[in-house]
Amino acid sequence: MPPKQVKGEYIETDTGNKVSRKSNILGSQNIILGGKTIIQADCTIRGDLRRSGAPGQHGNVAIAVGRYCFFARSSVLRPPGKVSRGAFSFYPMKLGDHVFIGEGAVVEAAMVGSFVHIGAGAVIGKFAIIKDCVRIEEGTVVAPNTVIPPFSRVAGRPGVVVEELPETAQDSLELKGIYRMI
Amino acid sequence: MAPKSRLSDHAASRPPCTLSTTILISETAQLTGSHPISIGEHTVLHPRCRLNSTLGPITIGDYCILNERVNIAAPDREGCKIENYVMVEMNAVVEARSVGEGTFIEVGAKLGGKCIVGKNCKFSPLTTVGEEEIVEDDTVIYGYGERRKDMSANKETRKKLVERQIEGLRALIKSDRAKFLT
Repeated sequence: MPPKQVKGEYIETDTGNKVSRKSNILGSQNIILGGKTIIQADCTIRGDLRRSGAPGQHGNVAIAVGRYCFFARSSVLRPPGKVSRGAFSFYPMKLGDHVFIGEGAVVEAAMVGSFVHIGAGAVIGKFAIIKDCVRIEEGTVVAPNTVIPPFSRVAGRPGVVVEELPETAQDSLELKGIYRMI
Repeated sequence: MAPKSRLSDHAASRPPCTLSTTILISETAQLTGSHPISIGEHTVLHPRCRLNSTLGPITIGDYCILNERVNIAAPDREGCKIENYVMVEMNAVVEARSVGEGTFIEVGAKLGGKCIVGKNCKFSPLTTVGEEEIVEDDTVIYGYGERRKDMSANKETRKKLVERQIEGLRALIKSDRAKFLT
């Protein structure tokens, strides 16, 4: 558990998000935070890499984050991009609730479900889809376009499911406790 | 007297730069050191990408993409040369003597001091290359240091994809070339 921070390190928004002043957020107009999300220092979020072309039905959202997420120091969130129909474009990235991203992890997933723990230094490849209640161990490399089923523990390079998690996994992956501590 | 900001300190140690007029360089990219840095046509430098020429000159070719948090440093006086169509992903560290055309360096890969990398190599996430090592053309390093040869003949397609990606990035990243030339 991270220690209690010095007062003033975080800016608190109306919906209870705590964003470190030392974090590194680009294109904040394209980022949606659901509330009670913590963004620590040196964390990079690339909201400027939005979908090319005219804003669609949901505007130009590049990164949508649910509630009670925690992005540790030096982690990177970046929407995935690919060439489609002859033109390069980035695609929006969606994160559910209670998503923990460890120190120095790099996430380029298309979708991350709720109650997902991504360990420190892990790399989530482009367009990966991670379902609910998943634990990704430290230093795992999840290959691009991988789909990870719910209730699994993933480790290795490339990351594979090494174990199924019990049905009670959701309780241990909840992040309300961390939010209260900071 | 007002304290000197970090930005003005940064300006003091600005290296002599040769930047092509067609490059795309974010204003938060960092070029530091004292030896010359030259960057070829259509190359993209994302925000917070760091080039350090304290120990030697850095030469970067045409159509390269250097992502955020990339760290490129010259190993010694002979410098670091990156050829055309090289893609360097987030958190990668490059201290190589030379990197051949069409090489992909993925998230968090480390190319140790003075190593020589051939053409069309691929370094998958978190892999490392030791100091003064020589990596032949078409080598793929993956997993926990496994190596194989890339036999596919799609090198030209890969180049085209990089070109498309640069085209796509042009609309998203604000270029501030003038800042680095004074």
